[in-house]
Amino acid sequence: MREFGIRVAQILEENLIFVSLLAIVVFFSLISESFLSLTTLATLLNQLPALTVVAIGMTLVLISGGIDLSVGSVVALSSGVIGAGIVILGLPIPLAACLGILAGGIVGLANGSLGAYLRLPIFIVTLGMLEVSRGLAYLVTDSQTIYIGSAIQAFAMPWASIGMSTSILVALTLVVAFEFLLRSTIFGRQIVAVGSNESAAEISGIDPKRVRCAVLVISGLLAGLGGLMNAAYLGSADPNAGIGLELSAIAAAVIGGTSLMGGRGSVVGAFVGVLIVSVLQIGLAQIGITEPTKRVITGAVIILAVILDRWRTH
Amino acid sequence: MTKKSQSDLGLVARGICKSFAAPVLQDVDLTIHRGHIHGLVGENGAGKSTLAKILIGLEMADAGSLYLDGQPYRPINTADSVRKGVALCAQELSLIDDLTIAENILLHNSSSNWVRNKRKHVEENAVRLLELVGLEDLTPRTLVGRLSLAEKQLVEIAKTLGSKAKLLILDEPTSALTAQQADRLHEVLKKLARDRVTFIYISHRLGDVLRICDRISVLRDGQLQLTAESHELTEKTLIWEMVGLDERIDTIPRTAIGSSPRLLSVTGLQTEKLPHPISFHCQRSEILGIAGLDGSGRTELLNAIYGLDKRIAGSVKLHVAGMTAEPRNPRQAIRFGMGLVAEDRAKDGVFADQTLAFNISIAGLKRIANRLGRLIRRRETQAVATLVAALRVRHRNSRQKMRELSGGNQQKSILARWLHSRSQLLLLDEPTRGVDVNAKLAIHAELVRLRDTGVTVIVVSSELDELQSLCDRILVLSNRVLVAEFERNSWRQEDILAAAFSNYVQETKPS
Repeated sequence: MREFGIRVAQILEENLIFVSLLAIVVFFSLISESFLSLTTLATLLNQLPALTVVAIGMTLVLISGGIDLSVGSVVALSSGVIGAGIVILGLPIPLAACLGILAGGIVGLANGSLGAYLRLPIFIVTLGMLEVSRGLAYLVTDSQTIYIGSAIQAFAMPWASIGMSTSILVALTLVVAFEFLLRSTIFGRQIVAVGSNESAAEISGIDPKRVRCAVLVISGLLAGLGGLMNAAYLGSADPNAGIGLELSAIAAAVIGGTSLMGGRGSVVGAFVGVLIVSVLQIGLAQIGITEPTKRVITGAVIILAVILDRWRTH
Repeated sequence: MTKKSQSDLGLVARGICKSFAAPVLQDVDLTIHRGHIHGLVGENGAGKSTLAKILIGLEMADAGSLYLDGQPYRPINTADSVRKGVALCAQELSLIDDLTIAENILLHNSSSNWVRNKRKHVEENAVRLLELVGLEDLTPRTLVGRLSLAEKQLVEIAKTLGSKAKLLILDEPTSALTAQQADRLHEVLKKLARDRVTFIYISHRLGDVLRICDRISVLRDGQLQLTAESHELTEKTLIWEMVGLDERIDTIPRTAIGSSPRLLSVTGLQTEKLPHPISFHCQRSEILGIAGLDGSGRTELLNAIYGLDKRIAGSVKLHVAGMTAEPRNPRQAIRFGMGLVAEDRAKDGVFADQTLAFNISIAGLKRIANRLGRLIRRRETQAVATLVAALRVRHRNSRQKMRELSGGNQQKSILARWLHSRSQLLLLDEPTRGVDVNAKLAIHAELVRLRDTGVTVIVVSSELDELQSLCDRILVLSNRVLVAEFERNSWRQEDILAAAFSNYVQETKPS
């Protein structure tokens, strides 16, 4: 019996993050009758594709020992490029979408070249790029929200049959794909190795610069995709989109067990982190907690996650 | 002991013992007279630095007592020892690059009052100290970061001299200095000694030690071998005492090395850290040792071969499968069958937070992946299990975190990493430093087994015993120059050691 108890404790400990998510969901459904409904679930899932894809990229960058502060602005830049492309240049939507994602990739490449190859501190490089990208987003949109129209919204509109949008399906697919990349491919191992011990990685035949640069490019491309998802959700390109999104992405990654020191983390974990933060937001709103109090609680949860994580790994 | 004679005794050590994993100092008795320059020599790891650290309170002796000027002396930390008049000028520089010379000197002087120290006074003091060590050309406002290595070393010494200590310990004070700079420093030391300052002078440059020291002590394996007046000693007797008389016998049985094809040719190799061209070659199925003192360029040579340090001249050629390759970076080196076990295991070897399996497979991921780069877990588990069993790595399971393994098992795992990637040329830098005896023997046995299967091993070690028992041939580096080559059965320990010291001795001979 005692052994069984220990085994249960072990399982709970190993899956702490899923357990926490479950606990939060149970908590809100007990307090608020309207919480546990399909409507809530649909709202929740359809709101978070942009944050999810950005958090995937952030997780990879953090595991490699870097950080990418530019992603929130890149979301705005990408949606600005898409909006301007469709409305001002009259481009077809798929082409404009590709341009938006490409813009994100270019920012990521700039981050990677400056950070990895010129050895500038990546925190500062991406902080600078946060400003540059935001500025560019204002420039391409002429500081106005560009109304795109309903054509692009199809991407974010839930399919009647399954209640989920193309956006969220893409995001979920990417979560699975990148978790696979991280756990079961040579490149994934290389990311972990560089974040764990750069010098040992180099001696083991890995090119740390190339790896660091590659994850920043991936992060940029995913933030570009986030821009498309944001534009599709809103039906417009808002140059103020994604402000503070980088912090939410870091929070989600950290709640999901990713170490800011590099070498450890999980994409699925980050996705659950996204869910925890979003469920908290919706649940707290439903039981009538005001915005300022919500922020206090969310912040506390992030810190609690790190404390639990440290307790678990030591 | 009378009152009068006590005043002549600067420092007395009685029965000093210190152990870390193994005993480092055993029952050391040492008497150092006031106003003397007392030389302290010994091989790497003989216990010189540990003794120095005990004298300044950086380490605590396990047993024994110290007396300074006849009073019991038991420093609890470095600030305490400085207060009591004992200071160390360490081998590793402790200067702060972003401060000026004057500020660095002030920092060290813990008795000085920071608030009351007028800038002018501080700088005057610095000028005086700089003149003392022969740096009168420099102004005290120069940032230390701009100085050359030799200048930094002299500032470090100036800093220590400025502390007004009664007993100064100088650990390799001239390692970066030219002969002229060293001579100038020695004059200063002699002058200060006449003013009753006492020095402990630790150096590999035996010629210098014999020339300037009044008395010399030799440490070997943590034991004091002898203390004698300098004029009674010669370089040869010093080396003899450092090595010991008992030449050890080889423990590992081995087949004689036949003539086999050449694997590696190093021709005129130069890097920034190895300014003198180095040429040698080795063949398949050979264990080649590289001997030399700390800082003699051994690690730098391995790094240059492996492509970690950029070559500025010369070439490193590997002859594999009828082709000749010239690897330029670690990735290419590994592709052509090299592997490096670095000296600093924690910094350059292990991925401490990752699993044992991760650590072993990391340099040969292609071997456990399909053509698309997907890792096949089953292949990894099998490969790791085989290696771990062969090397007897003690572990719970292959998912165990590397940091939970002992030093010896970590080192075996890193060796396993290169066995997994099928290395044909292993570069090993101090492969058994800090590992227990059993792991050491296991590693030795594995290296000999590898050699017999056609693998070539280049091994750097500070332990001559280790090199002599393992190697077919030993190259000796001295002061970053390749000075000698010894064949198995034609070497004697004192010859190898004499070669290791040779280039330091030459450099400081008065011209």
